[in-house]
Amino acid sequence: MNARVLLSRYGVPMVLALLVVAASIGVPGFFTRANFTTILLHVSINAILAVGLTYVIITAGIDLSVGSLVGLCGVLAAATLTDAAVVRTLGPAGAAVAATFVGLGVGALLGFVNGTLVASLRVAPFIVTLATMTVGRGAARLFTGGLPIGFPDAGDPDYAGKVAALDALHLLGGGRLPLPGLPSGFPVPALVMLALIAAGAFVLSRTRFGRYVYAVGGNEEASRLSGIPVQRILLGVYVISGACAGLAAVLLVGQLRSGGPDTGTMYELNAIAAAVIGGTSLFGGVGSAWGALTGALLIGVLNNALDLLGVQSFWQEIAKGVIILLAVLFDVFMKSGRAVGGRR
Amino acid sequence: MTTLALRGIIKRYPGVTALDSVDLTLEGGQVHALLGENGAGKSTLLKVLAGATAPDDGTITLDGAPVTFAAPRDALELGITVIYQEFSLVPALSAAANVMLGMEPTRFGLLDAAAERARAAAALTALGAGFDPATPVAQLAVAERQLAELARALVRDARVIALDEPTAALSHRETEALFARVRALRERGIAVVLVTHRLEEVRALADTVTVLRDGRRIWTGVVADATDATIIHHMVGRAVEMERLAAARAPGEPALVVAGLTRDRAFRDIAFAVRRGEIVALAGLVGAGRTEVARCLAGADRSTAGTMTLQGEPYAPRSPAEAIRRGVFYLPEERKTQGLVLGMSVQENVTLATLARFCRAGVVRASAEREAAQAQVNALELRPPDLARAAGTLSGGNQQKVVLAKALLAGPDVLIVDEPTRGVDVGAKSEIHRRLRSLADAGKAVLVISSELPEVLALADRIVVLCEGRVRGELDGRTAGAQDVLALALPGSAAA
Repeated sequence: MNARVLLSRYGVPMVLALLVVAASIGVPGFFTRANFTTILLHVSINAILAVGLTYVIITAGIDLSVGSLVGLCGVLAAATLTDAAVVRTLGPAGAAVAATFVGLGVGALLGFVNGTLVASLRVAPFIVTLATMTVGRGAARLFTGGLPIGFPDAGDPDYAGKVAALDALHLLGGGRLPLPGLPSGFPVPALVMLALIAAGAFVLSRTRFGRYVYAVGGNEEASRLSGIPVQRILLGVYVISGACAGLAAVLLVGQLRSGGPDTGTMYELNAIAAAVIGGTSLFGGVGSAWGALTGALLIGVLNNALDLLGVQSFWQEIAKGVIILLAVLFDVFMKSGRAVGGRR
Repeated sequence: MTTLALRGIIKRYPGVTALDSVDLTLEGGQVHALLGENGAGKSTLLKVLAGATAPDDGTITLDGAPVTFAAPRDALELGITVIYQEFSLVPALSAAANVMLGMEPTRFGLLDAAAERARAAAALTALGAGFDPATPVAQLAVAERQLAELARALVRDARVIALDEPTAALSHRETEALFARVRALRERGIAVVLVTHRLEEVRALADTVTVLRDGRRIWTGVVADATDATIIHHMVGRAVEMERLAAARAPGEPALVVAGLTRDRAFRDIAFAVRRGEIVALAGLVGAGRTEVARCLAGADRSTAGTMTLQGEPYAPRSPAEAIRRGVFYLPEERKTQGLVLGMSVQENVTLATLARFCRAGVVRASAEREAAQAQVNALELRPPDLARAAGTLSGGNQQKVVLAKALLAGPDVLIVDEPTRGVDVGAKSEIHRRLRSLADAGKAVLVISSELPEVLALADRIVVLCEGRVRGELDGRTAGAQDVLALALPGSAAA
């Protein structure tokens, strides 16, 4: 294995490692267990969206609607969670489960709409998801009148039940698992995220569906002529991306105890950034779930270190932009080496 | 009168000499036809003429003075225009803007739209064009686009105009109109080069004809003095023969029977059968409809009429997936764009069509997959036999073996191979041939599409010759010669 192959495969993890070492030395308060769990928690939502997007981007598609879906799924999940009838019939725990299904289901359903338009009607993914992004955000604002919903008014007849339901979902979105050595415990959303990344990586690398995702992105015509159900694969990746957005929405509702129609604005761009930094090629055929996590972590660690140093958030945006640019330049530089190095 | 002379033009590409000491003399006021099989060197010669590619050796003189072209621009400035089959027009711009592209008239640094339109209109009118020069090219018919290209040449005071198969996409009436225009260009003293496959066009239009074969100029003569048989004879020559692989068994039951198969604007009324244990070649020129027929058989395209029968059962695949399930596998002609996922490994490409076999509950069983791929790769002697290597890094011959391995792993009853050895070295070529023959001997039905006559003759038990989307005739592969196939494949040849 030559240096070029090593770099193209492990370049981004190495950069992440370097960044962690540098921050550990130079940033007070960075190298603590509590801070590491904080970083994991902060990147959870972005990593979840990024892994869904990675599936789409490997097929040479794009999904701009995930940020809006976070908003729309969130308000619908919050509405379900605090619906008087739901709380009364199902109880707080049942309401939390129902809200989770609503969030995931609506996300998957809108992903299905995206996928149908892309796969069957052959509309450009950028256009399709730009449209659903706009529609989704509008629908979320329409549904709540523009205001966050969820937490009941003081005089609400079901006040206690609704708060109990919010608390139930908060176990998922804001809960902490006791862990020896971690006084405040391990954040549940980070655990959900890590499990999802592992599952996403397994599906991509070990299953037939995953293989087909790479094949369709690498050469759609060759895949079709080899008998691969190209349309179903394309449909599948958009459903996955939508469902990931739905999951992120449920976690956010649990965490914040409310669903805001403007939640998730611009999240799609952060997720695309994480995927691209993690080595997923916008031209298709190349990418991985671990790459999405690495990309999200790189952004997260950088933001965290700059936070701890007291650097203005404006600088953090500039730093993120520079990193995206470097990642893409790195990709261009590696392009000639990719054929030799494989894609993972 | 203008005289453009090319002397001793040599052009080498890696592994192949595309032009080997070719001479060509073009006289003003004459139409010079360029004939030859696919790969004879016509396109390369046109590129040299256009300045699009630099010859490795040889001289070009214009009216006795030596010229060199560093870029197409140099040739254009000397009045040499090549009109390719794929037009070089900008679809979104108007015909007038396209005609004047690169020589837009300006006033005070701004585009002079009125002058542009006037000059373009004058050139178009001179050619007898009936459409509005303001029309975007995207809305023009093929014949009209051709006029725009011709007008572009006129605006530049072209002295030499080369037309690459100009009638390939034209109707009969449009062809007649084009002929009239070409004759008018000849009257103006322009030297016209006509690249064509059609002998009837050579007869109708050309004064002289040059035959190319395997990158060499074989013969140049006066059209009026030559018979069709003479011209075909020069085109075929003594083609290098490939080893003919004899069938080890007599053909059995028909595996795939096609009757009246039609796809609008591609082919009509195609009928033939492929039997078990038999290799049938679908021969013909590029554009005769061979690949289009194969794609219908493979479920990649739909036919508009006709019937197909597979092992006695009705067969109308709606997708390649369905065709593969029914036992029909198609290997496309472009392995890089249609056959392989270049970024994937050899193993992943080989098992692409059969992955379901190596899965349990959707999860790939890595060892089963690897063993199956390894067996295929070993049997085809892939070099290196490295399963982890990315397919894009292999040589052409080895890439073709990977595609073939993919098909063989699927174990089809009917194998359709489109240009199985294009761009493949001699060694791999004969290995692939032997493999196809052994498949037939094992009772499979094999349909081969090839533009290489020696390959057709070496492989086929029967040869079905297509010409302009129709079956022109069927030949016995054991007795047919190159001349017989070409006589059927060339449109308008009297030999048929």
